[in-house]
Amino acid sequence: MKKFLLLIICSLVTSVFGQKTASGLLQNEKKEPIPFASVTIKGTSKGVKTTILGEFKISIPDTGNVSLIFSSVGYEKQEVLVKGADPLLVTMVQVSKSLNEMVLVGYGSASKKELTGAISKIGGEELEKLNLSRMDQALQGQVSGVNISTNSGSPGGASSIRIRGLSTFGDNDPLILVDGVVYDSEGLNALNPSDIKSINVLKDATAGIYGVRAANGVILVETKQGRLNAKPKIELNSYYGFQSASRKLDLLNATEYAVIKNEMFAFGGQNMPFNNTALGVGTNWQDSVFQNSPVQSHNLSLSGGTANTRYSLGVGYFTQDGIVGGPKSHFSRYNARLNLSTDLSKKLKLNSVFLFSNDYRNTLPENGIGSVLYNTINAFPNEPINTPDGNYSYLDEVSDIINPLAQIANQYNWSWADKFVGKEELVYEFNENLSFTNRYNYNYSQVQSKVFSPLAWFGPGKYANTALNAALESPLVEIAPDVFIERGASVNEERAGYTDQTFESYLNYDKTLDSTHRIKATAGVSVFQRHGEALGGYAFNIPNNSVEYADISANLAAGGFLNNVYSWEFTERLVSAFVRAEYAFQDKYFASFILRRDGSSKFGPNNRYGFFPTFSGAWLISEEPFFKVKWLDYWKLRLSYGVSGNDQIPNFSYRALLNGEGVYVFDDVLTQGVAIGRPSNPDLKWETTGQLNIGMDLTFWKKLDLTTNYFVKNTQDLLFQPEVTAILGSYGPGGYPPIINAGDVSNKGIELELGYHSDPKKKLVSDINFNISRIVNKVTSVPEGVDYIPGAAFSVGGDVATRFEEGYAIGYFFGYETEGIYQTQEEIDASGIIQEGAQPGDLIFKDQNEDGKISFSDDTDKTYLGSPIPDFTWGFNVNVKLHGFDFSANIFSAVGNEIIRNYERQQPYANQLGYVIDRWVGPGTSDEHPRLTTGETRNNVFSSYFVEDGSFIRLKNIQIGYTFPKNWMKKAKVESLRLYVAANNLLTLTRYMGYDPDLGSPNALSAGVDFGMYPQAKSVMGGIQVTF
Amino acid sequence: MKKNIVIVIVVAVSFLHAGCKKFLSVDPPYAQDAENYFQTPDDYDRALTGAYDMLQGSFVSFWIGEIASDNAIAGGESVNDSQGLHQIDNMTHGGVNIELRNIMRWNYTGITRVNYIMENKENIDFPGKDHIIAEARFLRAYYYFELVKFFGDIPLIVDKRIGIEEARQLPRTSKAEVYAQIESDLVNAAAVLNPVASQKGRATQGAAQALLGKVYLYQEKYTEAAAIFDEIRNSGLYSLIPNYADLFSASNENNSETVFDIQYSGLEGGSYGCLICLEGNAAPGFQGIRQYNGPVYGDGNSYNLPTAALYSAFSAIDQRRGHTVLDIEAFIAAQTDPASISYAIGAGGHTGYYNNKYIKRQGEIGLPDNDLTSPVNYRVIRYADVLLMAAEAHYKLGNTSLAQQLLNQIRVRAGIPGISVQSINDIYKERRLELSGEGHRFFDLVRTGQAAQYIEGFTVGKNELFPIPQVEIDLTGGNWNQNPGY
Repeated sequence: MKKFLLLIICSLVTSVFGQKTASGLLQNEKKEPIPFASVTIKGTSKGVKTTILGEFKISIPDTGNVSLIFSSVGYEKQEVLVKGADPLLVTMVQVSKSLNEMVLVGYGSASKKELTGAISKIGGEELEKLNLSRMDQALQGQVSGVNISTNSGSPGGASSIRIRGLSTFGDNDPLILVDGVVYDSEGLNALNPSDIKSINVLKDATAGIYGVRAANGVILVETKQGRLNAKPKIELNSYYGFQSASRKLDLLNATEYAVIKNEMFAFGGQNMPFNNTALGVGTNWQDSVFQNSPVQSHNLSLSGGTANTRYSLGVGYFTQDGIVGGPKSHFSRYNARLNLSTDLSKKLKLNSVFLFSNDYRNTLPENGIGSVLYNTINAFPNEPINTPDGNYSYLDEVSDIINPLAQIANQYNWSWADKFVGKEELVYEFNENLSFTNRYNYNYSQVQSKVFSPLAWFGPGKYANTALNAALESPLVEIAPDVFIERGASVNEERAGYTDQTFESYLNYDKTLDSTHRIKATAGVSVFQRHGEALGGYAFNIPNNSVEYADISANLAAGGFLNNVYSWEFTERLVSAFVRAEYAFQDKYFASFILRRDGSSKFGPNNRYGFFPTFSGAWLISEEPFFKVKWLDYWKLRLSYGVSGNDQIPNFSYRALLNGEGVYVFDDVLTQGVAIGRPSNPDLKWETTGQLNIGMDLTFWKKLDLTTNYFVKNTQDLLFQPEVTAILGSYGPGGYPPIINAGDVSNKGIELELGYHSDPKKKLVSDINFNISRIVNKVTSVPEGVDYIPGAAFSVGGDVATRFEEGYAIGYFFGYETEGIYQTQEEIDASGIIQEGAQPGDLIFKDQNEDGKISFSDDTDKTYLGSPIPDFTWGFNVNVKLHGFDFSANIFSAVGNEIIRNYERQQPYANQLGYVIDRWVGPGTSDEHPRLTTGETRNNVFSSYFVEDGSFIRLKNIQIGYTFPKNWMKKAKVESLRLYVAANNLLTLTRYMGYDPDLGSPNALSAGVDFGMYPQAKSVMGGIQVTF
Repeated sequence: MKKNIVIVIVVAVSFLHAGCKKFLSVDPPYAQDAENYFQTPDDYDRALTGAYDMLQGSFVSFWIGEIASDNAIAGGESVNDSQGLHQIDNMTHGGVNIELRNIMRWNYTGITRVNYIMENKENIDFPGKDHIIAEARFLRAYYYFELVKFFGDIPLIVDKRIGIEEARQLPRTSKAEVYAQIESDLVNAAAVLNPVASQKGRATQGAAQALLGKVYLYQEKYTEAAAIFDEIRNSGLYSLIPNYADLFSASNENNSETVFDIQYSGLEGGSYGCLICLEGNAAPGFQGIRQYNGPVYGDGNSYNLPTAALYSAFSAIDQRRGHTVLDIEAFIAAQTDPASISYAIGAGGHTGYYNNKYIKRQGEIGLPDNDLTSPVNYRVIRYADVLLMAAEAHYKLGNTSLAQQLLNQIRVRAGIPGISVQSINDIYKERRLELSGEGHRFFDLVRTGQAAQYIEGFTVGKNELFPIPQVEIDLTGGNWNQNPGY
């Protein structure tokens, strides 16, 4: 058994009429406050509960020795003798680490013990340790049921956060609230992960307290706060690191290229392009494009508190150059933060948060046809980077492949954002049971961008040319008959401002009626408005074709012709009311009911308001008297069901547009009238999700926590523009169908989190977490008249390769299935299947409809080829501490997803991957890679040949640190000093051939399509953490 | 205190609730769309033009009026081309028919465009608004009349646009109720509209009265029909033009015999992909002589070909025969150099005859487009039609002598002697001779109960109405019963 620790610090106590007051703070071993614990006077039934900050105040008789008994589920009961008048500092020992952790549940908090929903919480320190610039990157692999894939590995690149699968082909992003302020995926660049205290992920229907915005899950982020009665603490946290490409593709060198191209041309009946194939290795384009680049981060913070004020403030700086393009692919951020809580009076408390950020980003064309890496992969190795005259080489033979270095050199693309986010919150506590919160949240961001397009010449006939010729002369534009003006270098600037304002007002009630009943209730209203507006312009003829003058103000466009301005503006609003009622019986049975009503300006007048109810309950079996299993300390069953919505549909979609044609002939003259094109849909509403969750939480041997959930999530009312009834009158000239709610998607899954937490007082402290999730995604219906929604195209102008179709996962791959390679003409003849144009060495396509013929003109022989959605994702985190040394590792893995290899430009001269060396060259030479030819072939249509297993296991972060002994540091007046080395993405195990198998897309129908993804860097860092 | 706070919350919530509606109806800033239109008189006028536009899709209805009857066959390049028309020709049509679907879609679009104006008719007041509303009502009556002729009971939507949910709730409204709405619109329109149009092409008082009379006649309300036709006759605004030959040329349009025409222009081209987008009349090109190379006519697609039975229904001295039906071989033989003239026969059928009222003629070919852009108007109601309808109504009311007098005005203009009217069939027969090729025949046969007698394959109790396209039944949730027999 452990010894209870009792610490007493000084202050005062007042004695009044034979009574005195005992007060103090109840905390756990991590010095975190323990709220809602009961404090009773020994031998009486008189007692109070600790506040949310773990504080208590209780009147005790002024006679003799009084003992207080502290109890809270998940902690061992503790008895403390009140000695003297000093406030007590009571530390309780946990039975289980996580049970008493407070979790944000939306307009309130709850301990894990009383949770009825599926909510996961990650502490800020766990994210900060990963040394990543964005919260979403850091969250990857940390939480079950949350799959995060990287949209771009470039500095400042976003990730896709998918909580419990994809529920729409529209917007699948969860609602992210930072101290109550909405952040979108793009806006996360402004959030410094070092400022985060905790991240709470609401996965199941209990997120329904956020109603129409909750269907994709809700992430509640709180920023760091100070602590009462704590002396100022200054923390410095810095690291510096180098990044490099973790992987390069196996591309042909010049000699291999020449040999292979000669064969290809010969096969195609053309002259061989290379008389001499001994070209050495030639140009390694990847080596010239990838570079090592620095990353650094510095955070300084100050936190502490007095008797009635808590404060935490900080400043931060982060900067990172890209491994492609260096400073032209760059991200940097300045942050300032203030979080202040103060008791204005005994009952009135002010919480104030202010976050400022300035972030700046440069980008290159990425993740698409024509991106820098796409050009790098396809550039010919026999071509030098520069011609002898010093110009970039032209890569003449293919018009849509340009010299990637010339491309980088001519790319000027900036964007920067200033963001002011804040909260002013007044909490009035009537008594210990009832509080009234009023708050105003704001988020103002100004987003600016500038693109400079100099006159550039990439070679004759190149699509990217902006100049007329190699001498960089301006093209001429005819603005009136025979009037020509020059169109020189141009600049596009845009200033967009967004203002979000939220006013929220709610009551929280929490009362333990007697030892058996506890009631909690929350009721309130919320009003939200977002307003955005932008002004932008294009200006031409920038002087000297130089970036030095890249501003609209400098333009020399004759008479302003060609110059252009544009603007836009929008407003959206949300008005909501919500209640949550919770009831606990004997701290064993928990029930909760949530109802939210949302009204949104996005929806049609007939469906402007929605009700979103949720029921949930839990049963703490381990508290039952009949339950007596020694090794099982804690066992809770949870159940929830509720309905929530996804309001992320375009504004004004319900409104009719006057884009129809209405022309009639009056007096023999064609007379323009007006007609509705897309009709209104006054019934337009949110996408609706019903979610069932069955979960279980267990603690074994006081050290091992297990949480598991099974869920079924059905989404309906997706937005389509299908055929509609004639009586809506939308089939006139220029008519379109209205946008309507139709189509269903289902996600079913199981998730498991396992945590081992060793005894923190032992020398070797270890903390091991494992989580695994499986999600099965399926489109369950599409509206009549819609066969499927087409997604991404394969290759340049190729077939649609991904679809949203009933019976399949969202964005599944659809094409021809291959069955090896025809080795001989006899084999083709004997196959009994007519595959037009097939020759020995060609891919064998499977005759799906068994009609004896491979049909290339329709879809009848195409089939399911894979899905970008993994069968499983898992994460593994380990932290070990021993004698001041600490070690941590973080692994993330996705299993069973497929990726389309779509970065090969299928042109005769384009460079190719090394696998073509193993191509078919005669009977028996290959049953995998087909022959190469410039002649007509079906080998390049979209087939399973281009679909690869995208499974991977990645060591996301590994770190070794050393914290100097306290007694050494004391002399230097340093509280603590830690030095560490860390590495990100050191190791990735995958069979995927491309740069990076961690491949996401904001568009659900383009996930898993690799155009030459900008890969995540491998980085090695050294860091220091000092606390004063 | 606790109580006070609860009161504050309750008040706040109810205030929010009340204020919500306004707070949430956000207009797109600085943008005009259909929800914030109708701010100026011009806005109404433009929307009305949009509502007129849908008249131009009426050619399908006229085709079916001929092809479904004994007057014409479908024709065309093959029986698989415009399959829907061939099925109707053979009375084998069913729930899958693209032509019938177009009828339904286009007329409901016209109705929707009118309802869009009517929904907003109280937005502003200005002189002349009543006239715009009256024209709109005329158009809505026209579109509903088309639908009720084809499909019988149809969902009635008045003065509002509907959403997808409401569409699923709407039943088929009874024919009688639809007719009542049509009558009410036309009575209102006739009371307001000018006797003479301010612009050529706009609906007039006479047009509304004539359409109303026709609607009465379809319901066998002979007294009302006769009265309104007499009003038109007594207005002195209309007369038969002397020469039947001049009736269908582009150059002689909007004459004293014109009660209502659908206006077309030859100035804008189009594509086969969107026939409803055309500003020209598609019918003359479609009905033209296939691969014709010769004088007078232009080459076309040999649709809607008159039958030999129609040709032989005319007496040889009837001037109307040649101007209604073109006997192609006779025409070629009469030319100075017949050998130089050639044409082709489409696999969709050939009778040797062409619709000579609406046919592609040299000099009437649209400028930008040879096939789809004819400037020739469609004659919806001619005064001759009014006289024949008046004759029919008066005959039914027992006024045989007036009926005979009206009928003989028509015969005299056609260059044939008057007759003594012995039976209603004399009037029906004259109606066919005068108006064939103009899209009336099938509906006349149905309303007079003669369809089974004249149309091969016509099933009584079934073919009086066309089937509602099955897909339209499905798209509204399957609540509508199909018409009997389909």
